[in-house]
Amino acid sequence: MADSHVLRLTNVSAVCAAIPALVAVGFCGAVLGAAVFGYTPTFWQGGPLTLAEAAALRDQGEVARLIEAGADPNAEYALRPDVLAVSRATPLEAAVLARRAEIVELLMHEGAAVDERTWHHLHCVAAEIGEDDVIDAIDAYRPATAATVSCPQ
Amino acid sequence: MTIAVPPRFCVAICAALIAGSLGYGLLQVPLLVHDSLDKIVDAGRSPGLWASFTSEIGTTDFRPLWVAEIKLLFDLSRGHVHLAYEAFHIALLLAAFGLFVALLRIETGVDLAASLFALSVFVGSNTFTGLVKEATPVNVYLPIVVFVLLAMHLSRSRHAWWVDAAAVLTLIAACLTLESGVLVWVALVAGRIAGRRGVSDRALVCVTVLTVVYLVVRLTMLPLDTQNASGYLTERLEPGQIRERFGAGLVRFRIYTVLASISSVLFSEPRDGTFVVWRAWEAGDIPPRMWISIASSVTTTVLIGIAAWRLSRSTVDAVPHRDDMRAAFLVFGAVLAASGVASFAYAKDVIMSSAGACYALVAFWAVRDQLIRVRRVGTAVAMAAVLVAASSLWAVRVIGVHHVLRTQAFAFHNDWGALRDHLPGDPAARRLVTALRADALSRPVVNPWFVPRWADRVFDIDYF
Repeated sequence: MADSHVLRLTNVSAVCAAIPALVAVGFCGAVLGAAVFGYTPTFWQGGPLTLAEAAALRDQGEVARLIEAGADPNAEYALRPDVLAVSRATPLEAAVLARRAEIVELLMHEGAAVDERTWHHLHCVAAEIGEDDVIDAIDAYRPATAATVSCPQ
Repeated sequence: MTIAVPPRFCVAICAALIAGSLGYGLLQVPLLVHDSLDKIVDAGRSPGLWASFTSEIGTTDFRPLWVAEIKLLFDLSRGHVHLAYEAFHIALLLAAFGLFVALLRIETGVDLAASLFALSVFVGSNTFTGLVKEATPVNVYLPIVVFVLLAMHLSRSRHAWWVDAAAVLTLIAACLTLESGVLVWVALVAGRIAGRRGVSDRALVCVTVLTVVYLVVRLTMLPLDTQNASGYLTERLEPGQIRERFGAGLVRFRIYTVLASISSVLFSEPRDGTFVVWRAWEAGDIPPRMWISIASSVTTTVLIGIAAWRLSRSTVDAVPHRDDMRAAFLVFGAVLAASGVASFAYAKDVIMSSAGACYALVAFWAVRDQLIRVRRVGTAVAMAAVLVAASSLWAVRVIGVHHVLRTQAFAFHNDWGALRDHLPGDPAARRLVTALRADALSRPVVNPWFVPRWADRVFDIDYF
């Protein structure tokens, strides 16, 4: 009688130690199971990004991949509402608006081009945001023909 | 409590599921660029395995077997470089899990529960994360964990000539992989002191002589460049800052680093020498992941402390399997102290990964000890509450390892994206890196924007 009482108490405590660990094992099993049956586990699912979204979201790898797969670095792309405050932007505009100097550099290296008008626009957007390294990154690609900068207040 | 399905089989299945899911995660992570790409390029340039092995002689790192492994896998890959390195990483992971489970004494349902708890401590520990989050391109610390667990296994096995031979070979392989390989010797000697006779005294003398020779050669004849960046209280100091602040001797810094490394195993703080929770407190925001890490570790360490105290006061027959328990505690103490000393130059949680594995093994004995001592309802309720809380926190940390892998995948993918302008000049190397880059970029990774914001606050992250 006393032994079975002790046994029950031991069992309850043992189950308490085991159940949370089994939940973690269950999570791992679900990830592995999905992978084994050819699905991407939800935990590892992201979503497709446009080039402008990738630029805004600091996704250098995706920026490089999309451009090398044929995406136009100078075109305008749609952005999801909660990525930036604008619904459409070029990748360079998105990078400037998201204050990503390194993405500006990458886009320029991957073939983005700025003419006098585009550079002036990007410079003024960067100046309005007030991020020095982004302004420097844009200014590094100032066309030789660009006139004196005057941004609207 | 006895159950129909063999408990060891249940634990093995659970371990396989965890290891398998981590293996899947590893396959999603592109190869590391920093510290790894140069080694892959060198492997491509090297004329052969022996040339790679001998190229390490006289260098500051002196990891000839590790470099030879990189070369061997490169040659075997036949262009599938990512797959070859990740497959080897997964094989090492499976070996570590297999040896870990083999070291647990699992006979009853109580053992099963304690094993599952220990398994989550093993994977959830901050010292484990470094074993999966990066590979340069072969993770250099994971083989050491495998070798130390193997040494513990040999130590407790039935004596045979091949056990002695395996012990000697394990030590040689470990020392030629990384300086921490000396922990194999520590585990063998501690096992012998605890009364385990799997490895004969003659073989122990042999491994001791080899260890002394290795240490003499390593410390006196090969160049040492041991100063890396390291944490100190709430700061992370670069090598120059460390020398400037602590002077030439660095004694105060060394003592701090050793103690901080030991503390990181027992309490999950500091991290790589930096008290991140203190830093977060100063910034006015301590995210839940820090509470989760500290609370789980402190609770487990207290359970281990209680078990060690009881063990020291118990008589031979008072505790079932007392000898095994005593041996596990002794080896843990020795490996923890030795790993701490091995971290004297700089604190890095992953250097303590062998101690972390031993910590999980003693956590098994501690939880088992608590469970078999339950006699009263009040004690049972209290113990159940403590165990369910601790186990839940460790479970969150286990899932957090997957989060770290997902974050790393994004970071490495980005590094490959930015690599375009830093391709090597040599045409063969350029072709190789271009192919590796194309392969890395083609791997879909999860942008953190798609990850719920709470995940970074709840799951552990890479702090540095």
